[in-house]
Amino acid sequence: MNPKEYKYTQEHEWIHSEGGAKGKAGLTDYAQTQLGDLVYLDLPEPGTEVEQFKKMGEIESVKAVADFFAPASGKVLEINQSAIDDPAVVNQDPYGEGWLVELELSNPSELDTLMDSDKYDEFVAKLEAEAEEEESEEKEG
Amino acid sequence: MELLKKTPLNKVHHDLKAKMMNFAGWELPVWYTSILEEHQAVRSGVGIFDVSDMGRVWVSGKNAGTFLDRMLTKPAQQLEIGGAQLCLLCLENGGILDDLVVHRVRTNRYLIVWNAANIKQKLDWLFCWSGSDPDVVIEDKSPNTVMVAVQGPTIHQLDNLRSVSHLPRFGHTQTKIGELSVFVARTGYTGEDGFEIISDAANSLPLWESFMERGVKPCGLGARDILRLEAGMMLCGQDMDKGTNPFEAGLGWLVDLEKGDFIGKSALLEIKRRGIKHKLIGFQMKDREIARSGYKIFHSGQEVGKVTSGGYAPTLGVNIGLGYVPVELASIGTDIEIMIRKKLVAAQIVNKRFYKRGV
Repeated sequence: MNPKEYKYTQEHEWIHSEGGAKGKAGLTDYAQTQLGDLVYLDLPEPGTEVEQFKKMGEIESVKAVADFFAPASGKVLEINQSAIDDPAVVNQDPYGEGWLVELELSNPSELDTLMDSDKYDEFVAKLEAEAEEEESEEKEG
Repeated sequence: MELLKKTPLNKVHHDLKAKMMNFAGWELPVWYTSILEEHQAVRSGVGIFDVSDMGRVWVSGKNAGTFLDRMLTKPAQQLEIGGAQLCLLCLENGGILDDLVVHRVRTNRYLIVWNAANIKQKLDWLFCWSGSDPDVVIEDKSPNTVMVAVQGPTIHQLDNLRSVSHLPRFGHTQTKIGELSVFVARTGYTGEDGFEIISDAANSLPLWESFMERGVKPCGLGARDILRLEAGMMLCGQDMDKGTNPFEAGLGWLVDLEKGDFIGKSALLEIKRRGIKHKLIGFQMKDREIARSGYKIFHSGQEVGKVTSGGYAPTLGVNIGLGYVPVELASIGTDIEIMIRKKLVAAQIVNKRFYKRGV
């Protein structure tokens, strides 16, 4: 399930800061499930300044292209080269080996505006319920 | 909002928790577990697709053959009974309405299998030209039937298909799978050996189950799309359409200009005489970026065309695509660029049969 100590965005990114001004970020399990097999990651070069909720990269699965938004503002310290080389690792372990970028946070308090894992679980459950509802409406219709 | 049409196997897909999508107005699985796994199953094992979205139209009567010869770009009446061919349905101006397979089932009875897109328009087109001739009977049996494609190199290990293993490519027969009456043709859209099977809609579940029990992997549209692209097979409505003629689409081999008059023939003769300006090419990306349908193609910094299909080709481990460029650039080995996220990315024109199965 979604790790307790991480924070989540409505666009299905996670960020995890172990205190201090650094944090790793990636795609949530829900996002990787929706996209399917990932085959290409277009991530910002280390040193790039990013702004919270602004696009900082693109994620491509076999079938789709999705934007990757910065969960917090700051500077890109490192990108996960092994995930770039083999994006399948993001499908297999989105919260661990499949992290995407490490940020130096310019304003760590931004993290307080994000969802905690309980809220995000609820958020995803709601999306899934809506998708199912749409389906059953279609069946009745 | 228009409701999506459902195939007779719709519940099976939902029970398998497939991710569903809208394809030409049909709700169909895009994948069950993973596009890459399903693709791999078809390249190295065997997979099954629900292709009930495709149209199944029977044309019969004393004048059925003459009628089809007038509608299609290859002579239907020259087919042997039990045989089939790929050909085109063209407009009067030579534009492509669809590519289809026509089977000759009996002397005066043919089966057309065509794409899901624009079914009504295509049926109207046939009805419009058959007019009031009582000796041409056109019946769209798609709603009462189910169609599955079973594809992959290990297909001959399936004991429920033993009775059709003798069929030649494009051959077909009426037979039984277990207790179920089926029409089986050795056709497909994956670049692998395989069969397409049609039966009454009532037989859908037992037909599907007879393959599940034998370990055949359910495969979705995502895998189907890459399999066909790797094999250089085009998708009508995407790689060619009413605005494209067969010669620029590289489908001149499906047009027999020697045969009697058919709809589009005079326009196609004229197009052939004048020559074409654009041509469909295959290309391979030099790096890891993926070209997608609609992206622009450049040559020496000039915009020269558009990508019609593109994606990752797992069998080859590279990214490939199809698109149109001016004829003078259309030779194998030409360097082109694709505009991907406001950057020009290097690609090269290659043979569009990217993947060819070993014999």
